[in-house]
Amino acid sequence: MNTSIIRYILGQILKLQSLFLLLPSITAIIYKEDTFLNYLTVACLCFIIGYLMTYKKPSDTVFYLKEGCVATALSWIVLSLSGAFPFMLTGEIPHFTDALFETVSGFTTTGSSILSNVEALSYSSLIWRSFTHWIGGMGVLVFLLAIIPMSGGSNINLMKAESPGPSVGKLVPKMRSTARILYLIYLGMSILMFLLLIFGKMPVFDALATTFGTAGTGGFGIKNDSFASYSPYIQWITGIFMMLFGVNFNAYYFILFLNIKKAFKMEEVRWYFTIITLSVFVIFTDLMQFYPTLGDALRDSFFQVSSIITTTGFATADFNLWSTTSKTTLVLLMFIGACAGSTGGGLKISRLIILIKTIFKELTSYTHPKSIIKIKMDDKPIEHEVVRSTNVYFITYMIIFVVSVFCLTFENKDLITLFTAVAATLNNIGPGLEMVGPTANFGHFSDFSKLVIIFDMLAGRLELFPLLMLFHPEIWKDTIKKKLK
Amino acid sequence: MFKRKSDQPIGLKIIIVGCGKVGTTLVDQLVAEGHDITVIDSNITKIEELTNLYDIMGVEGNGASYSVQMEADIENTDLLIAVTGSDELNLLCCTIAKQVGNCAAIARVRTPDYSQEIGYLREKLGLAMIINPELEAAKEIARILYLPTALEVSPFAHGQAELIQFKIPEGNILDGITLAQLSSKVSHKVLICAIERDGKVTIPSGISEMKAGDIISFVAQRATIKNFMQNISVKTSKVKSTMIIGGGKATYYLASQLLHMGISVKIIEKDRKRCEELSVAFPKAIIINGDGTDAELLKEEGIDRVESFIPLTGMDEENIMLTLHARNLSNTKVITKINRLAFKDVITTLDLGSVIYPRLIISEAIIAYVRARRASIDSNIETLYHLFDGRVEAIEFSIDKTSRVTDIPLMNLKLKDQVLVAFINRNGNIILPSGQDCIRVDDTVMIVTTHHGFDEIEDILR
Repeated sequence: MNTSIIRYILGQILKLQSLFLLLPSITAIIYKEDTFLNYLTVACLCFIIGYLMTYKKPSDTVFYLKEGCVATALSWIVLSLSGAFPFMLTGEIPHFTDALFETVSGFTTTGSSILSNVEALSYSSLIWRSFTHWIGGMGVLVFLLAIIPMSGGSNINLMKAESPGPSVGKLVPKMRSTARILYLIYLGMSILMFLLLIFGKMPVFDALATTFGTAGTGGFGIKNDSFASYSPYIQWITGIFMMLFGVNFNAYYFILFLNIKKAFKMEEVRWYFTIITLSVFVIFTDLMQFYPTLGDALRDSFFQVSSIITTTGFATADFNLWSTTSKTTLVLLMFIGACAGSTGGGLKISRLIILIKTIFKELTSYTHPKSIIKIKMDDKPIEHEVVRSTNVYFITYMIIFVVSVFCLTFENKDLITLFTAVAATLNNIGPGLEMVGPTANFGHFSDFSKLVIIFDMLAGRLELFPLLMLFHPEIWKDTIKKKLK
Repeated sequence: MFKRKSDQPIGLKIIIVGCGKVGTTLVDQLVAEGHDITVIDSNITKIEELTNLYDIMGVEGNGASYSVQMEADIENTDLLIAVTGSDELNLLCCTIAKQVGNCAAIARVRTPDYSQEIGYLREKLGLAMIINPELEAAKEIARILYLPTALEVSPFAHGQAELIQFKIPEGNILDGITLAQLSSKVSHKVLICAIERDGKVTIPSGISEMKAGDIISFVAQRATIKNFMQNISVKTSKVKSTMIIGGGKATYYLASQLLHMGISVKIIEKDRKRCEELSVAFPKAIIINGDGTDAELLKEEGIDRVESFIPLTGMDEENIMLTLHARNLSNTKVITKINRLAFKDVITTLDLGSVIYPRLIISEAIIAYVRARRASIDSNIETLYHLFDGRVEAIEFSIDKTSRVTDIPLMNLKLKDQVLVAFINRNGNIILPSGQDCIRVDDTVMIVTTHHGFDEIEDILR
């Protein structure tokens, strides 16, 4: 294990964190809040520690997949820990587990909250909560790759560990350019959305926080009723942009470079829109009878589908009160999730496609035992290795899911609450049903349950294996042996 | 807050077809130079190995296919290098690339059948370069055999001048004298460019001292080299006989060069059919059908009497073993060809004498071409060599236009540290420059430096 490169990356991450923390500090100055010093203190501390950690450059800059995984997992833990301190210092979330829960929920773009009254928070804390979504959405290590020249080509392993999807590729030969293109698309779409919200007469602060929450497909609201009190125009804009941020970013790259045909040929994107259309249709027909106008029913059903499939978690209506068909549709969407290579979470459409195609392949092999079929996507055969890892991913995902639900059962709550609590956090969505529904929160869980959920959120965002790698004894053996010497 | 490293110039977009050994070497060197590389190979495992190690992109498929080239974005590519195992495929890749995207193309063609028509092929197909590692290796071996005391001989200015590397033996006159004394006492017609001592390479100044055991590298006009070597009482006569083990392509090219120079050649090759082919091609050479690693056979064929011994089998391990064996038996001049670069550090510690890396020769040529493409129009790179395991670069620039270095006496130029102007070639005259000499337009100038990545003449200035 190359521990010095991991130390170096963690140091750089802390330096970045100090930069991120400047935003809430500035917000505090603008709104003349006394939280200013709290945020600035943490920022300075992060910078000093980060500076010390990066003071000595590692001699060996080559790292392999395992270093990439460990560095990514530790980076996210370090980010969450350091990001939780301001909440405790300002006294708004005094309890450590609660503060950590809120920050992890932010960075992993989950959007589950333990706060019952969000509107009581200071502006600086509100913007920090939302900003963590924006950082976590595209990934902080990708950001690191975009701005810091890192020697050695093996830093693809960092991106592999952080970016969602069964197989991660580059857009252009250089890692740094790829990371930059991704962030430029991300930034460009965020600015466009922000302007459209301002155009809809949304207050600037609300527009900024909403953009952060939508772009990262996070879901922290700044109002207690999430989105219900905003105008239909704002709801439509947010609904559409949530859907757009759930599309594989490669598609935008193709559109940018005038290859629109190729973008619409992407199988994953087609499935994504088909699933959204079908789900909206199901819920719309279900809701029609309860709404005064068809427009309202369409808006609410679209907003909710878009919010859940992209794993954002904003709500314009309390879907906990909807019919069982609608609720079940939403829960199913929770598991499917957005496209690979987007900012959304969940199982990812491309994995779903591979899994479904594997089923058909298996069926065919029952009728023609000696037939040879290659699973294809976008007219290209998928390597056996990718199919295999997708299967393992699915199994691991289910095991973590079941074990997590079991861990929460000591709470003496109903099964729907527990089931959707894990579904909503492991898939980075936010609200579930019943006691964790859109109008409720996670504050009533015990500390142990909160830690389980924190683990689920991190595991979901990092796609299980980078985080699980931390528990592999092999990873620690070398490091400890070195230390002992 | 985040310090930027030196601003690297924007790299070229390069596609490399074939991820074999040569392809890998090229990726390694061109990535270090900061270019945008896409590799194409039909074997996905090889692509993955490379993309995990280097900052490059991979495309799976047949490099000669139009759609695969389009996927690799051939339309916006500056250069395509085809180094698959097959000559014909390489040529096809380049031909298609030239039609689809308006890019320069370099192909590897190594079969002797085509070697006579290289110039014709290059011109008719409009290729930037045709590379042949085996031929280049053979040429370099031949140059060393011509001056066997040298470890390495690199030609400059179309062969007018040569850069010679050799080890100062015990008790030589050079032992213990400074460079200033060298020009007054021995000869002023040579210029010492680099000295390696205890694994460290320096670009010397007038007060630097030479010691026995140092490896020095000097430049001189071709005609004066033998004279100088005789002056410092070093054997200069070319070898008269050589024994080559293995009958591959490199042997073919080497044998034809050596026979042309009047050196007698003995080739030991296992495969009978190949022996017959060689015997048809080289009636003057002695072709032995037998196992070159058989010590008895080597003894019978006179390994202890032959003046030079060159193992050219396909296996590095065999070549190294044979070299060590030959050095053990006699004082014969040995040149070892090594294909794999991965264990270079181990090989340097073995003291094998002259070692040839065909792949490095090729990548030097390509890097010279690529750097020249990137550079401004003031100057152009003619030749480039990596010396002392790539720690020193020797580059020959042609000066096309007036710039900040022209028409100013060298002593007034503010050169970087560890930069040496080794010679100025003015209409075929090699001038070893003093402080009063100036660089003029239409000269070619050779620079020796430990810096890396010079692509235009103005880079020598601070």
